[in-house]
Amino acid sequence: MAKSTISNVKLGVFVTSGLAFLIFLLYMIGKKQNMFGSNFILKARFSNTQGLMQGGNVRFSGIEAGTVKAVNMINDTVIEVEMIVKSKMKRFIPKNAIASISTDGLMGDKLVNIIPVKEPAAFVDENDILTGKSTVNIADMLPRLQSTNNDVAIIAESLKRTVQQINNSTALWKILNDNTLPESLRQSLKNVHQTTIKAGEIVNDVQQMVAGVKQGNGSLGTILKDTTLAVNLNKALLKIQSVGDSADTLTAKINNMVQLIQDEVENGKGTANALLRDSVLVNKINNSMDNVEKGTQSFNENMEALKHTFLLKGYFRKQQKSKQSTLSNKVTLK
Amino acid sequence: MELHQNWKAFFAEAGDISRFTSRFFVQGAKPRQEVAEFFRQCFIIGYKSLPLIGLTGFIMGLVLTMQIRPTMVSYGVQSQIPAMVGIAIVREIGPVITALIFAGKIGSSIGAELGSMKVTEQIDAMEVSGTNPYKYLVVTRVLACTLMLPVLVMLSDAISLYGSYLGVNIRGRTSFAFFFKVVFNNLDFSDVIPAFLKSFFFGFAVGVIGCYKGYNSNKGTEGVGYSANSAVVLSSVIVFIIDLIAVQITDILGLN
Repeated sequence: MAKSTISNVKLGVFVTSGLAFLIFLLYMIGKKQNMFGSNFILKARFSNTQGLMQGGNVRFSGIEAGTVKAVNMINDTVIEVEMIVKSKMKRFIPKNAIASISTDGLMGDKLVNIIPVKEPAAFVDENDILTGKSTVNIADMLPRLQSTNNDVAIIAESLKRTVQQINNSTALWKILNDNTLPESLRQSLKNVHQTTIKAGEIVNDVQQMVAGVKQGNGSLGTILKDTTLAVNLNKALLKIQSVGDSADTLTAKINNMVQLIQDEVENGKGTANALLRDSVLVNKINNSMDNVEKGTQSFNENMEALKHTFLLKGYFRKQQKSKQSTLSNKVTLK
Repeated sequence: MELHQNWKAFFAEAGDISRFTSRFFVQGAKPRQEVAEFFRQCFIIGYKSLPLIGLTGFIMGLVLTMQIRPTMVSYGVQSQIPAMVGIAIVREIGPVITALIFAGKIGSSIGAELGSMKVTEQIDAMEVSGTNPYKYLVVTRVLACTLMLPVLVMLSDAISLYGSYLGVNIRGRTSFAFFFKVVFNNLDFSDVIPAFLKSFFFGFAVGVIGCYKGYNSNKGTEGVGYSANSAVVLSSVIVFIIDLIAVQITDILGLN
């Protein structure tokens, strides 16, 4: 009988442990679905639940808070999601929290995410209805992504072509490979820099000058600023004008005079007119001129004769000698 | 002609087994239960099978995890290994592998035991002495099989999951608590309850087939061997057929 008692104990342990595991398994599953422990019901209304199912997780700020108990149609556009939420979350979820449907991972199950908003509010009670907000659905996102992809492909294509063109262009590569280019570029920049400095200085000077002019320094300043000068200038101008006027009258007078002279010359009986008009006088003058020519010729002969006279011979000889000596000097120098 | 004979023999045996089974219910309902013998059988069938079933379960969990791992890693869902192995073990591998091992160990032992009793005419002697041999031998064993296999399946599940946890930790690193958290998070009542219920049927089938084969053993020494062998083969096949029916029923009930 003792043997049977021992075997009974062993059998009891065996069966109990087997059933204990079964109960444990069922308890864990039940706990996952919030069947045990104290819970409360929260509701949220959506226009689209994106495939949320009973038993789906409910998270509050990413923490497991409960499960979806039921998804009910209220009317043709409103769907009410009933959630079982742990009672201990009651003192964290505000009434104005927003419920949204999101996906666990990229392609996982749908779940309800309750997100608190910044405005303060009282905490939820049993059967409260939260505001539902539909979020981006991956399925809706994909077509848009597709069009974006197409655009990107087009851009990439043209970019590729551009890069190829750049690659094929020798000029650009020559520029890029030119080692002196950076140096000259730097130099140019330096020059530009200096020029700018100079320009700045010039501008400063100009500014100073302008300031000086404004203050009335220098001649320009005086011109611009001195009122007496202006008056003087005005007077001078007036004078110039009057001079101009008198010059006008003077020219008119000169004109008259010239007219008179012309008339006199053309029609008068003076010498000038005679010179211009009288042919007899011309002949006479011609004759006189001939006579003068003849006179000069005979005078030349007389002079030649004089050279050979003893009185003047010595002088001419001396003159000739000095001429010759200067010539021979020139020859020896050569 | 032979085919005709075979079919006839097949249906004859099927009918025989059916009658044998109905006899179990009739006899089992009758008063004066063999309680002590039932517990003795439970001890032998259940408790004594635990080491073998625990070992096979442990190895199954470990091997399954290590086999699944490369594929899961290549899909980048390494984190879902516990979930996948957990569901596989609880839903299918635990009950079926346990039932097969159970059929191998218990089916053959019942077939051989009852066969040798039949051959040595102990059953006839029992009947003469006023004890109902069917009630004493068959009902207790079939009941013990029916009730012990689910317990064994549960323990085998637990050991398999532990083996799977070790399998995960051979290559990766997962805490015990996290592993079981993932397993239980992905299990549902619809995974556990049908598997648990079908293991009753597995146990019942193994017990009935073992008893039938032994009870109807032929005369002679080879008759015992034949009973034991055919008990294992037939009960294994019946386990798979029940599994097939069970999966259809759970599917119809929407328990997937």
